[in-house]
Amino acid sequence: MDLSVEIAGLHLANPVLVASGTCGFGEEYAGRVDISRLGGICTKAITLHPRAGNPPPRICETPAGMLNAIGWQNPGLEVFLAEKLPALRAYGVPIIVNVAGETLEEYVELAARLNDADGIAALELNISCPNVECGGMQFGLAPDLTRELVAAVRQATDQVLITKLSPNVTDITALAQAAVDGGSDALSLINTLVGMSIDIQRRRPVLGNITGGLSGPAIRPVAVRMTWQVAEAVEVPIIGMGGIITYEDALEFIMAGASAVAVGTGNFVEPTTAVHVIDGLREYCIQHQIAKITDLVGAARTGG
Amino acid sequence: MLSTSAELAHREQVAPEHYLLTFDCPPIAEQAQPGQFVHLRVSEGLEPLLRRPFSIMNVNIPAGSLQLLFRVVGRGTQILAQAAPGTWFDLLGPLGQPFPVPATTQEVLLVAGGVGVAPLIFLAEALRELPAPCYVRGLFGARTEDDLACWLELSTRCDEFTAATEDGSAGQKGLVTDLLDEQFDRGGVERVYACGPVAMLAEVARQCERRQIACWVSLEQRMACGVGACLGCVIPVRGPGDTRYLRVCQDGPVFPAAQVDWEAMTADLD
Repeated sequence: MDLSVEIAGLHLANPVLVASGTCGFGEEYAGRVDISRLGGICTKAITLHPRAGNPPPRICETPAGMLNAIGWQNPGLEVFLAEKLPALRAYGVPIIVNVAGETLEEYVELAARLNDADGIAALELNISCPNVECGGMQFGLAPDLTRELVAAVRQATDQVLITKLSPNVTDITALAQAAVDGGSDALSLINTLVGMSIDIQRRRPVLGNITGGLSGPAIRPVAVRMTWQVAEAVEVPIIGMGGIITYEDALEFIMAGASAVAVGTGNFVEPTTAVHVIDGLREYCIQHQIAKITDLVGAARTGG
Repeated sequence: MLSTSAELAHREQVAPEHYLLTFDCPPIAEQAQPGQFVHLRVSEGLEPLLRRPFSIMNVNIPAGSLQLLFRVVGRGTQILAQAAPGTWFDLLGPLGQPFPVPATTQEVLLVAGGVGVAPLIFLAEALRELPAPCYVRGLFGARTEDDLACWLELSTRCDEFTAATEDGSAGQKGLVTDLLDEQFDRGGVERVYACGPVAMLAEVARQCERRQIACWVSLEQRMACGVGACLGCVIPVRGPGDTRYLRVCQDGPVFPAAQVDWEAMTADLD
């Protein structure tokens, strides 16, 4: 039974990643989760310079989901390279570095500097974070901007380039096509849906940032639908995510056309969620006599 | 930190809207230190989705049990208030930084507000069992007598104890912080530990700063992962330069009061 997958030349021992921002830099879960079993780790968003992040409250629970507005709190590129990356490498799993910036130039500089770093499997371009004033999702809402940014980063790096798409658009396939046209090797989707919650006792928004990104099982049907649409529109591999808690959830994405999946909010519910999803996928394949998981990619499109 | 299943051994309503849960959980009970918390999965389903953090109120190592005190404030606590003994729950813990305890005998003051009493009960017991036991003064404030949940648990662990209620239904009438001047004026207090509402903690911190008495506070915040990964549960801290945020789950929940940016913490209070 073969769970391994290839994402644009990047070999993953299994198709289950942990999503950016939900697993820090791995160390937070060390000793709690066997990180070496994961298909890969998408790091917390890295920016050129350290960022303090948004004022609290930063999170709020919603029905079968949660809102977050962290705002890219991270120690910056230098600390990432000097401290976080060496520690991450020790787990022996592919490291996908999520990069974020306020300007096109910041993305390019980050990509260029990370190009020389050892032990990075891929870059994940964060053009879909809804919780920052400048940059982030601004680059992910208009196809022209997306194409221009991806193309500029493409020039700066030889790494496998994954573009993480926002669901907060009218037609996600247009953004997917733009990212591919710009030179993205693969796509990951979806980032969070913009939402908000009001504290009716205090008569004001719950989140310090007013709005936040909705994640968790509540958004899964939207994410599966978008995975389906994007898989139909472009040829590049897709990493599907949005509310995956169980292996059944992961299979929905795979059968919709995702080559790999990522567990995000599910890590908060139970730190071993991703490991359980891997075990579940293996069991499913054995039970259904599936020789390799790649046979299931897009299975719902062809009627299996 | 452990991830473990624990059986709810006992559920007791200790005051209106206040419940005390006793879990059989030897591994966490043995490791827990005062100020630490457990992150409890309320439901195996998706509602509510996120775990809930609770300060540990007490452990009984021979019995392998730990106790959590809470007030019903939302869906998570509503479910726990109805939980049947014999039910198994998933607990992560012990998590977070504990209260630092003195290496030599000191006179300490505990200031509790509402359910903030929970970690201070655990601390009071530990302070008196140290190789160099402390002399413990306890203050406990709440809106009304009913909200002085588990006051006996605290008072019996203190060498001196005074309660205050805003409506005067028990103890002295007024805020618990109204009692601070008298405590400090008498002299002798070498350190202060506090847990309760932000406004109360800010006042305790202000008075301790003015009198240059070391003070630690236990804070709470909306929390997701509980292990430091998501950066969701931060509080603002003082420092040179720009605003900085620290995680309640991993850097706290216990912080030196002097570290906390009380101005930012209280800016949004009604």
